[in-house]
Amino acid sequence: MSTPYSAALPIARVVLKILIVLNWLWGAAILALLVVMPNEQWIMSAFDLTPSPETERLVMGMRAIAVLGLAVVPLSYVVFKRLLAIVDSVRAGDPFVATNASRLQAIAWALLVLQLLSLVIGAIAKALSTPAHPLNLDAGFSINGWLAVLLTFVLARVFAEGALMREDLARTV
Amino acid sequence: MAIAVKLDDLLHDRRMTLTELADRIGITLANLSILKTGKARAIRFSTLDAICRELACQPGDLLRFEPGPEEA
Repeated sequence: MSTPYSAALPIARVVLKILIVLNWLWGAAILALLVVMPNEQWIMSAFDLTPSPETERLVMGMRAIAVLGLAVVPLSYVVFKRLLAIVDSVRAGDPFVATNASRLQAIAWALLVLQLLSLVIGAIAKALSTPAHPLNLDAGFSINGWLAVLLTFVLARVFAEGALMREDLARTV
Repeated sequence: MAIAVKLDDLLHDRRMTLTELADRIGITLANLSILKTGKARAIRFSTLDAICRELACQPGDLLRFEPGPEEA
């Protein structure tokens, strides 16, 4: 029964560990953009922009997006770290515990906030985008994203019920 | 829990140890200890059947309802 999952779990574990590192690197990169290189002229030359009120607005908007992008880092960390702990508990042969239910609940809330952030980032990008300087970001409303939020909340409840049932079974003589 | 398990009394009356009973009915000593100490949440009919058969008693001799404060 466990054979089909024998490869999936180690792969998931490695992928999650890589994602945790990449997430921190992503955070460091955004932080560097915000702190080390705040020079407006640098940004304008990098994007081949000419100084004007419109481009200033664009730069401000991009900074706001970068700040929101920074907020994504700890939220993604919550998701990856807790998912890694769930994977480890499955490998240890004891996944139906109350801790995993709370982990899934935390993941669901993090995914919800990530979706809200994506909406805000998408709205900013749309407001900034002009025919001359189109800003195409992979952000905004995503039916799959919201479905994932719903699915995770439901799974958290399923795990909570499963943990209770397992506890009952463990104390059945 | 308002249900009290009288396994200790039954074993005492029959001069039998928990380990002996566990061996005779094929249930682990750990599980039987859970039952004896009242920490069990449920008991299988098969377990009840095996205990009653071995100790020549009725389920009512093993389990007793003792009203007390309700569990949260």
